[in-house]
Amino acid sequence: MSKTKSGKIFQYIFVIILLVYGFMTLYPVCHVIMYSISDPKKAMGGGLFFLPKGLSFESFRLLFQTKEVFIAYRNTIFVTVVGTCINMIMTAGLAYPLSIRRFIGRNFISLAIYFTMLFSGGMIPLYLLVESLGLIDSIWALILPGTISAWNMFIMRNYFQGLPCELEESASLDGASPMVILFRIILPISKPMLAAIALFYAVVHWNSYFNCILYINTQSKQTLQVFLRSMLTYTSMQQMATATDLDALGELTEESVKMATIVVSVIPMLIVYPFLQKYFVTGIMIGSIKG
Amino acid sequence: MNYTGNHSYKVSNTKRYKKKYNNIIRMLRKDKLLYLMAIPGIIYFILFHYVPMYGISIAFTDYSIYKPMSEASFIGLENFNKLFGTFGFNRALRNTIIISIYNLLFSFPAPIILALILNEVWNKTFKRTVQTVIYLPHFISWIVILGIFSAIFSSSTGVIKRLAEMVGYSGKVQNIMNLQSTFRAFLVGTNIWKTAGFGTILYMATLASINPELYEAAIVDGATRWQQTWHITLPGLRSTIVILLIMRAGRILNANFEQIYALYNPFVYEVSEVLETYIYKMGIGEAKFSFSTAAGVFKAIIGFILVVVTNWLAKKIDSDYGIY
Repeated sequence: MSKTKSGKIFQYIFVIILLVYGFMTLYPVCHVIMYSISDPKKAMGGGLFFLPKGLSFESFRLLFQTKEVFIAYRNTIFVTVVGTCINMIMTAGLAYPLSIRRFIGRNFISLAIYFTMLFSGGMIPLYLLVESLGLIDSIWALILPGTISAWNMFIMRNYFQGLPCELEESASLDGASPMVILFRIILPISKPMLAAIALFYAVVHWNSYFNCILYINTQSKQTLQVFLRSMLTYTSMQQMATATDLDALGELTEESVKMATIVVSVIPMLIVYPFLQKYFVTGIMIGSIKG
Repeated sequence: MNYTGNHSYKVSNTKRYKKKYNNIIRMLRKDKLLYLMAIPGIIYFILFHYVPMYGISIAFTDYSIYKPMSEASFIGLENFNKLFGTFGFNRALRNTIIISIYNLLFSFPAPIILALILNEVWNKTFKRTVQTVIYLPHFISWIVILGIFSAIFSSSTGVIKRLAEMVGYSGKVQNIMNLQSTFRAFLVGTNIWKTAGFGTILYMATLASINPELYEAAIVDGATRWQQTWHITLPGLRSTIVILLIMRAGRILNANFEQIYALYNPFVYEVSEVLETYIYKMGIGEAKFSFSTAAGVFKAIIGFILVVVTNWLAKKIDSDYGIY
């Protein structure tokens, strides 16, 4: 592009706009992190937090004194790891056969699955179904209803369809079973797509909160986001059963502990994200390829 | 014997069907494992997507916590009539449409504008850094967002008070998350915060696919930046934008439940209770199963019609469109 004078002015304008937008994106996160490691008394006044106001890890200490946070963490990790594994196996298990041209009923089944993306029974019938399956208050209620995302399944299917059909045909003629073909030939080639889809599922599991609110009643089975939510919406500290010095500090530390809980809930994502960013981007690209 | 003339080699119908049936059986047997592989997935969709569709029938009964399934009787469209006269439902419908329109007006263009600006930046490192930064909120849950912005806008410990002091305002500062006049703007704002950055990916990919020779030729012809943008960049984005816009419009009844449920509070129910939150409140909160399912059915059917029409429109514009 030619670097004319007016071009340069526009560059400055664009850079400034992007800097402002980037700042507005990052500052809220920074605010919370800095608040959480600030001295609770000094932080109470509010204001801008580019750096902590007096360093203090008191809020984290108080947070980790409760056992609920560890239980919630454990539950979320379980749901994310086990859930994503089940997601991937089931999604690929359906996507691969549907990608084979000679699969009878392929079009009908694909259409029926596509239909579920357009129309659904709604929240209440699904709730009643989960209830009748005896899954209320079970951690499986957080995994099973969302086992296969039709959207992700179609992305996988389209990707498999895009692979040269000679791969499958020649292996099949050589007498290989579909399982073998899938695991030895198709999946190894599809690694970038599989990584992206797995990450999509994992992020959804990590961040989901509503299904836990809906289906789970006992506190010991709560996930991290729901735990965070209960910390944010109830101002009474009676939640924190184990710590006794909380009552003395009262309101001062309440806000700081809330900040600490937020940080604890979002840190894994913040840490993991820069490394996995490129997989997400390729995932979107793959998903947006037409046909 | 020799057959001559117009003898047509017609096999009788029953023979033809029998042959087809045998062929199918043979193919099924050959690829047995392939079909077996697909069965769990199919069972999943039948169980968790089609069975609940059948549950829609309870919208036509008076099933609720007061009348268990065994006692519930068929009452036809009574639930629906009641629904359309209910204050809560009409408010929810109104809010749903208003919030969706706000999102169409503001949240929809945001990633496009960002992508256009990003596309113009010369410094590649700066561009990549900005992209890494703006994709981040997509990975943050709405509950964390609740926490973050509650802290920012808190009237006592937040940022607004300090900013107001800096410009000389010393009156009381209110939390915009609790005000009816600002809450919808807050919803749209946080929606942009979370989704606009990541949303640029799709548009950047489209922009990258515009033939650079077009730009080169335009420059040779003496086109200014504006002319280049108007005649090359925007038309290149046009079909993507139109298709996505149409699809968004089709989902107008789906105003972002996870966001609203996480962020709203009793102070702002009046302006932000939407269909889905209303359904949750009636159905799970008050156990009025059949009544809320009726609302759900309304939403699903209208939504279905809208989505089918918009998908059909989208296909007309770009016949390659469609994940199916």
